Amino acid sequence: MTFFSVVVRGLWRRPVRTSLTLAGISIGISAVVALVGMSRGFEKSWQAGLKARGTDLVVSNVVGGLTPKPFDASVRDRIASLPHISATCNLLVQVTSIEDSNLMILSAREWGSFCWSNLELVSGRMPNDATEKAVVLGQTAAEVLKKKVGDPIQIETSELTVVGIVRGGAVVEDGSVILSLALLQEILSSQNQINVIDIRATPSTTEQQLRELSQQIQQLVPQVRAVTLSEHLSHNEGFRMIRAMSWATSLLAVLVGVLGVMNTMLMTVFERTHEISVLLALGWTRGRIIRMILYESALLGLLGGILGVTIGAVGVHLLAGTSAVRGLLQPDLSVSLLGVSALIAVAVGILSGLYPAWRSSRLAPSLALHGG
Amino acid sequence: MSLLEAKALTREFDDGRVKALRGVDFSVEEGEFIAITGPSGCGKSTLLQMLGALDRPTSGTLLYRGQSLPDHPNPASYRAHEIGFIFQGFHLLPTLTASENVQIPMFETDRSVSERKKRSVELLKLVGLDHRLDHFPSKLSGGERQRVAIARSLANGPSVVLADEPTGNLDSENAHLVLDLIIRLQQEQGRTLVMVTHDPSIAERASRTLHMKDGRIVSDKSAASS
Repeated sequence: MTFFSVVVRGLWRRPVRTSLTLAGISIGISAVVALVGMSRGFEKSWQAGLKARGTDLVVSNVVGGLTPKPFDASVRDRIASLPHISATCNLLVQVTSIEDSNLMILSAREWGSFCWSNLELVSGRMPNDATEKAVVLGQTAAEVLKKKVGDPIQIETSELTVVGIVRGGAVVEDGSVILSLALLQEILSSQNQINVIDIRATPSTTEQQLRELSQQIQQLVPQVRAVTLSEHLSHNEGFRMIRAMSWATSLLAVLVGVLGVMNTMLMTVFERTHEISVLLALGWTRGRIIRMILYESALLGLLGGILGVTIGAVGVHLLAGTSAVRGLLQPDLSVSLLGVSALIAVAVGILSGLYPAWRSSRLAPSLALHGG
Repeated sequence: MSLLEAKALTREFDDGRVKALRGVDFSVEEGEFIAITGPSGCGKSTLLQMLGALDRPTSGTLLYRGQSLPDHPNPASYRAHEIGFIFQGFHLLPTLTASENVQIPMFETDRSVSERKKRSVELLKLVGLDHRLDHFPSKLSGGERQRVAIARSLANGPSVVLADEPTGNLDSENAHLVLDLIIRLQQEQGRTLVMVTHDPSIAERASRTLHMKDGRIVSDKSAASS
């Protein structure tokens, strides 16, 4: 028999209580996996969308929510002549409700710009010109909205026609309703209003030159921010809020897990007061008693972590398939996230076991002779 | 040199309001079987705790092979290697089998997993339980549980076995069998045995009997002199 066997047997002496504690930890850890996986997935999917369009720099307003606040389209004319800029594309992007879908990306793009070039027709056709009352739908958007070529679609107060279904090379592109910028501006009566300028740099542009370009843009137009793809999301207030909320909720769930494990381990120590005294009387050192309790709580954390990561991963996949978020994100279930979540669970176990372990080490071996 | 020697040993509780031991003087020689008798609350178990380094005296001297026991640098090591405990209530771990329970004290030695297992089998054979190796305590009778506890007490080949009313929880038939076993092993192995008991018939089989009253040893009789 190894020391680990003693630890495992100790944990399974109360199978119902241990199982309930495991359930508690695993719910906390699955919340970490689900919430952080979804928020990271949202960010990565958005980045992938920008990449698919061949964007190197994103110019947007310094303030705004999930989508940036609109600004005047003339900004593009002020920056277009700067060095290293090969092409630009004005956009007005909104995350809004369209018909029965509560969260849908409405992406209005400057007609004829490079932002249309990544779209590959699956069926139907592209709009004929910037003013045709038509949209193309990403494949997922078409599924979520249950639309096919020729169907009408209500955008704000106007009824447009779905003329094509496209593949965009990224989840958010496939989940978007895409139309001409001029058309959306007309529908919204917001002439010349955009909220994003995608910039494609010349092929030989270095990272350093891109950074210099972004500084030049900001000097030229102080109310906007020009950032690279990765910076774009880390500066976005909406994404920052999603990230903060997902971690805060996760931490709360983890805290509940800590209290659950600590309660279980304290009850274990109280129940086994006499048994621990006997072990001390039989020559076990206080260090070994501390290790026994800490290993039990760490094992509880590890098992809860494995269970939680599994539940979280399955849950995220199920959630990503629901119509509410489908097309908005591809969940990020990277090995690092799953590993960190499992490590958090073990840390929860160890942290929760510290006080019970200390309590157990303070027990007097003389209690062994007092009944039990 | 005596194996254990106590001089003016006292133990007080509650800031001196309770005096469990009031100046105990005695010595234990190697290979002796000493029975400690006396009414409840006379200090028998407290004395056993002192001998097993489970508690420290309030004053007085307690020596093990001439070295002060309360000043022992590692009481856990002393308990693991020099002392074997047999308790009235057996105190086996319910989640471990008979063999595993016997291995518990061996964790503080450098024996390997297979050596621990082998030793536990030998000891359980010695107490006639080699057919119950993988039985959990709940599947053993009271007598069998105490025999496992006896095997456990011998795990690390201790110098002294301290037994606290080892037959107190057994019916008369099992009590007789268990007592015979403890005494046989003590005699065969020449091990020192200190046993606390209420039962005069058990005390009669000891080589020496200490009778306690109100925290003091009031008589110290060897079998030859009684």
